[in-house]
Order: sequence, then structure tokens, then C-alpha cells
Amino acid sequence: MNRLVWKLLRQHISIGQLSGFFLANFFGMFIVLLSVQFYKDIVPVFTEGDSFMKKDYIITTKKISTLGSITGQSNIFSEEEIKDLKAQPFTRSIAAFTPSLFKISAGVGMQEAGIHLSTEMFFESVPDSYIDAKLDKWNFKKEMHIVPIIIPRNYLNLYNFGFAQSRNLPKLSEGLIGLMQMDIIIQGDDGNTAQYKGNIVGFSNRLNTILVPQSFMNWANKTFAPDKEPQASRLIVEVKNPTDTAIIDYFRQKGYNTEGNNLDAGKTTYFLRLIISIVAGVGLFISVLSFYILMLSIYLLLQKNTVKLENLLLIGYSPAKVALPYQILTAGLNLLILLLAIGGVAWTRSYYTDMLQMLLPQLEAGSFIPCTITGVILFLAVSLLNIMLIRKKVQSIWRNKEH
Amino acid sequence: METIHLQQTLPEVFAGRDAITSDVWHQDLTLKKGEFYLIEAASGTGKSSLCSYLYGYRQDYQGIINFDGRNIRSLSINEWVKLRKQSLGILFQELRIFPELTAYENVQLKNRLTGFKKKKEILAFFERLGIADKTNEKAAKLSFGQQQRVAFIRTLCQPSDFLFLDEPISHIDDENGSIMGRLLTEEALQQGAGVIITSIGKHINLNYNCVLKL
Repeated sequence: MNRLVWKLLRQHISIGQLSGFFLANFFGMFIVLLSVQFYKDIVPVFTEGDSFMKKDYIITTKKISTLGSITGQSNIFSEEEIKDLKAQPFTRSIAAFTPSLFKISAGVGMQEAGIHLSTEMFFESVPDSYIDAKLDKWNFKKEMHIVPIIIPRNYLNLYNFGFAQSRNLPKLSEGLIGLMQMDIIIQGDDGNTAQYKGNIVGFSNRLNTILVPQSFMNWANKTFAPDKEPQASRLIVEVKNPTDTAIIDYFRQKGYNTEGNNLDAGKTTYFLRLIISIVAGVGLFISVLSFYILMLSIYLLLQKNTVKLENLLLIGYSPAKVALPYQILTAGLNLLILLLAIGGVAWTRSYYTDMLQMLLPQLEAGSFIPCTITGVILFLAVSLLNIMLIRKKVQSIWRNKEH
Repeated sequence: METIHLQQTLPEVFAGRDAITSDVWHQDLTLKKGEFYLIEAASGTGKSSLCSYLYGYRQDYQGIINFDGRNIRSLSINEWVKLRKQSLGILFQELRIFPELTAYENVQLKNRLTGFKKKKEILAFFERLGIADKTNEKAAKLSFGQQQRVAFIRTLCQPSDFLFLDEPISHIDDENGSIMGRLLTEEALQQGAGVIITSIGKHINLNYNCVLKL
């Protein structure tokens, strides 16, 4: 940038107006970025480690009543009932739990110690997309004779904090459990037996059952119970909006039970999202207003310097060259604001992350990327708009002379 | 750029007048590079308008003006910027000097753009025009005549095919006027530039190829 041009054009720059803009835009940007970052950091507290864009699931069963038990009333969902549920406006997708139709016994043993515990068991499966655990080891290969298993996180907690605590037994971490192998013996209807190794590969908060891969279940049911057809007694429903009252009404009317507190967590995150949207909206609004101040200030500046701009254009400076100092000024200010706002968010964040860590120790430290990306997008949008408007204004000065 | 061709050109404000007797307006006139023209005019006959049309910052005229056969109404902003940097030099009647810059900075503002003259050459111009002591003075503090000389130096700081000088010595004494004439002739001959000077009375003595009455 030409020093002399800047010397001419910086005249009439109003420090008051620019600092007004600076403060307003800084607060606007800060609020927007902080709400984005806060949302990103706080959401896992409610969804307990589920993905950022948490999907909302409801697991449903039919009510088991005393009378029903005596009269042998079925608690199986019929095809029609599933279809009906799927057709509801609040349903996004639906899947049935597939139960195992054969006998299973599982055992844990330490040969060296001569201990062998074994128990009768059952498996269930759901399609992979409904599972809320890492799926990197979640595949069944027939020839390997290993079945991956996911158990509810509750089971581990039950052992660690209930059983092990009271018996002075060692506590087991999730990693340690993953190292243990179970012996699984499957017995078919025709007396066929098969032996497998079971590996616990993950823990689920959402699915309160002992899960095996759908592919294993399909194959095993066909092999060991060829005459039976699996029937759905539990359904998992992905809903669009968990606060939709239509969901509760529908389930109550049909007499279905829902499991877990997913609806509550869903509601909490929904309201959290709502509140943060409002806060971010206010921040954006402030940003827009401050942008307006900046543009007014720059327009005024251009107006006051019109004669100088005209003369510069007349002695051979191009509109682009004349506009450049103002464009650099605004883009520079915006960049400074971006850096300060990001710094401010980082500083504020250091205060609440400690608290979050205490609330939820297993929470991984969230990344700072969403805040940065949002900031950069805002910066680019505002700066480009500034640059464009200044160029247009300078060109209009050129044209005013020409007509 | 070799020629400036005016075809039936007339300022719009004169359109209502019945009889126009002028060597420029409503004529077919070609100005050639390398030749010296003096346009003599009474006040209010459109002398500055002519300069502003030729320099592209006003378009309120009838008829056609062509640069090398190209209608200048069709030139883009970028083409005008290029012309003003490389082909057309102008000394405005109202000078358009920046009062907040020093005399030298005013010249530098132009020379930075074109890179045409060395600092030594510019200082030599100041010397010859008798304003060497004003080099670092703010232009606001100079008399109009001194400012006129600064603007003249600025005009010379670019390659030119044509040089327009709008009443260049209106506030300058005869001695400095003739120095300016010599400088102008030297520069114009060196570059082969055409010179178009307007005047309402006092004018630089040059070997004019053509004197036109506006």
C-alpha cells in the first residue's frame, strides 16, 4: 500500500466510531463463538459421550401385566403394529430387536485357578446403525469362532460399585473387560452344539441387553433353529424430536412402555439447543448491528474524503488502489476482533472445563475447532462484504464524476 | 496513442445555441501526436469542458470523440486508468494539488504510480522553476502560482502521448512562464508527445503547429 495514499486517506478517520464498532463487534463475535463452543462442550454431559449431533432413540416394549401373564397374552409386536409405528410422523426410523432362538450358556474360567463359572444366557441384536459404541471390532467371522459382544454399561457399574465393593474384589475397567474371553456354547433344537469365544468389545448406554452382531444372529438363528421365526418383543425407534408430545400420547394410547431416560436427555439437549440458539442469535444480532456501524463510519469517511478520492482517481490511481487502504483497515479490524474473540473464548472456557471434568470425568476434552471454524466463517463473510461495499462506493465516486 | 479525433463534438449545455462559430466545436478535428496546439478561448466557451472530455471524467457532450478510431465512451474504468498512467498527462486549471502533502510528496504521489522520473530529475525541475526551497513545504502554504508549478512538475512525471495544460501560466510571471515553455518543449520532443494548451489570454510561447479558436 502506498504510504502517501494512506497519509491522505486516513484523514477524518473517527477513532470514536471505529472503537464503537470494535467493541460492539467484539462482543457480538465473542457471544456467538462462546455459545457454539459451550454447546459443543456441554452437550456430551447430557448425551454421555454420544455423538455431537445426538440422535434421539426410544426403546419400547409392550406392558407386561399380571393379568396378561396369567392369560398368556402375547407381548410380541405384530407386523401391523410395527408398520403403524413406522408411519407415525414423529418416527424417523425403526428396528426390531432380534432375540436368539437357541440355548446359550456362557462361562468364564481361569484354568490355572481351577475356577469355572458358567450360566445360561440369551443374546439379542439390532442393526449396527443403532448401536452407540465403537464398532471397529464389531464383526463376526464364522471361521474365527469369535463373537463380539456389547453389554450395557450398567452391568459393569453394578459389578464394580455393588458386588466388587461389598466383597473386596478387584474392580474391572472397561479395557480390562475387553481382554477377557468367555466360552460360549450354543445348543440347537436338534441337539447340535457349537463352541465359540466371546469378546466384550464395547458398552452401551442406550441398549439394555446383551448384544451380538446382527449378522451373527441371522446366521445362528438359521443354523440352530431353522424351524423358528424370530419375533420382535422390543423395538428401537429413532424419533425426530423427543419433546413432541405426540410421542407420549401415542405410546400411552397403545399401552407401550418406554425404557430409559432417553426422552428426558433428549428434552434437555433440545432445550439447551434452543437456549443456546437464542443466545447465539443475540450475538449475531449485535454483530450485524456493529457491522452496520462500521459501514456507516466507512461511508462517512469516504464521503468526507470524496474530493481526495476524486483527485487520486484523476491523477491515475485505479479505484481498486484507492479502495485498498480502507479495505485493509476493515479487514484488519475484523481479524483483530476474531483473534481477540477466540482468545476470550479460550480464556472463559478454561473456567468451566474444570467444572465439567469434575461432573463427568470420562468426558474427553472437547476440541476447539467448532468455535474457530465459526469464527473464521463469520470473519470471512463480514470482511468480504465490507470489501465489496467499499469497492462499490469508490466506483460510484468514479461514476459521479463521469456523468 | 496517435490521434484524437473530434467529430461534431459539442458540450450539451451549448446544444440550444443557434450559431456556433468555433474551430473545435461542431467541427471535424484531428489532433496528432507530436504537434503543438494552442486553444484560445474566452471565458465560458467550454475550455475546461474540453479537457474533461478528453481526460475522461465528464461525458456531457454530443458528437463523438475517438482515440485512434475508438470511441472513448466505450472505454472501461481500467482502460481509463491505464491511459491516465501511460498516455495522457494533464495540468488541471484547478490544479488538484493535495494541500496536506508537501510539494515534493504531491509529485511523488504521481511518480510512485508511474516510476517515470528519478528523484534527481524531479528536484532539478523544482530548481529550474525556482521553487527548490519549497520542496518540503506543505502545498497549502504555497501561493497559487507556486502550486501551479508543482502541478506542472507532477504532469511531467509520466509517459505521455498527449499533454493537456489548462491555463498553465495564469498565475505565473513571464520568466517562469518561458522556463515552463522550455521544459515542456524538451519533454514533449523527447517523448514525441502532442501538447494541447488552453489559454484565455496569457499563453506560453511555443512553436505551435496550430492555433484554434474555441
